[in-house]
Amino acid sequence: MSEITKKEERNVPRYRPATDILEREDGFYIYIDLPGVKREDMTIDLQEDELTVTGVSRLGQGEGEHFVEMQFGDSEYVRSISITDIVDRERIKANLENGVLELLLPKVEKTQPKRIEIQAG
Amino acid sequence: MVIDFNTLYNFPSRFDRMFQEFFRSPMGDDRRFAYPPLNLSNDDEAIYVRAELPGVKIEDIELTLTDKTLVLKGERSAPQGKYYRQERPSGVFNRVINIGVPVDRDKVTAAMTDGVLTVTLPKADEVKPRSINIEIA
Repeated sequence: MSEITKKEERNVPRYRPATDILEREDGFYIYIDLPGVKREDMTIDLQEDELTVTGVSRLGQGEGEHFVEMQFGDSEYVRSISITDIVDRERIKANLENGVLELLLPKVEKTQPKRIEIQAG
Repeated sequence: MVIDFNTLYNFPSRFDRMFQEFFRSPMGDDRRFAYPPLNLSNDDEAIYVRAELPGVKIEDIELTLTDKTLVLKGERSAPQGKYYRQERPSGVFNRVINIGVPVDRDKVTAAMTDGVLTVTLPKADEVKPRSINIEIA
């Protein structure tokens, strides 16, 4: 069964989805356009420093439909992003809404500066 | 830093170029034409107009149906912040679609699912295919 799904997926074109990466005070935000991708059809993997997002869009058209113009179709989206050490890997949040994946990568809390007492000998 | 940089120079690396070749759609590079990309199709019952508009709310889209055209208007806003990379298109868009067939104007519907807008324009009764009984004399 898995072999069949693999073959099916190989037939759809692959794209690097359009991605915005920006920084705000609370961390890095990544926005990825994934039109037509449902939550169950996508995966986000974090391996070492590489975050990989994959998704498959299924547009689902009715039977007996004739296409006059086709500028987008079913596709597979793959995008890898290297992330820095200052990202807190445990607190990465992902939210897929209306075809856009939002990833929030918070920064690691900075260690507070600490004064070191000098003991008088 | 968040890498995946290339912000200043848009030179695709050799690796990227290889993948772009790989990832290209078999239908040609239609994606660069106009925004948003459209699919137009029809069956016996209706005409379907689909547009890829990820992140745009249905309330922010203005659809106008005139005699022979459907106008799709709206604006896509970019999130605020310090950008390292910006690839997602933003700004005002406007597309005019010619509808050559009479449609039932009161039954036109629009829906947005997962960033894909679908406008369904039911064909007017007079253009729907009908079967005619032929009586044999």
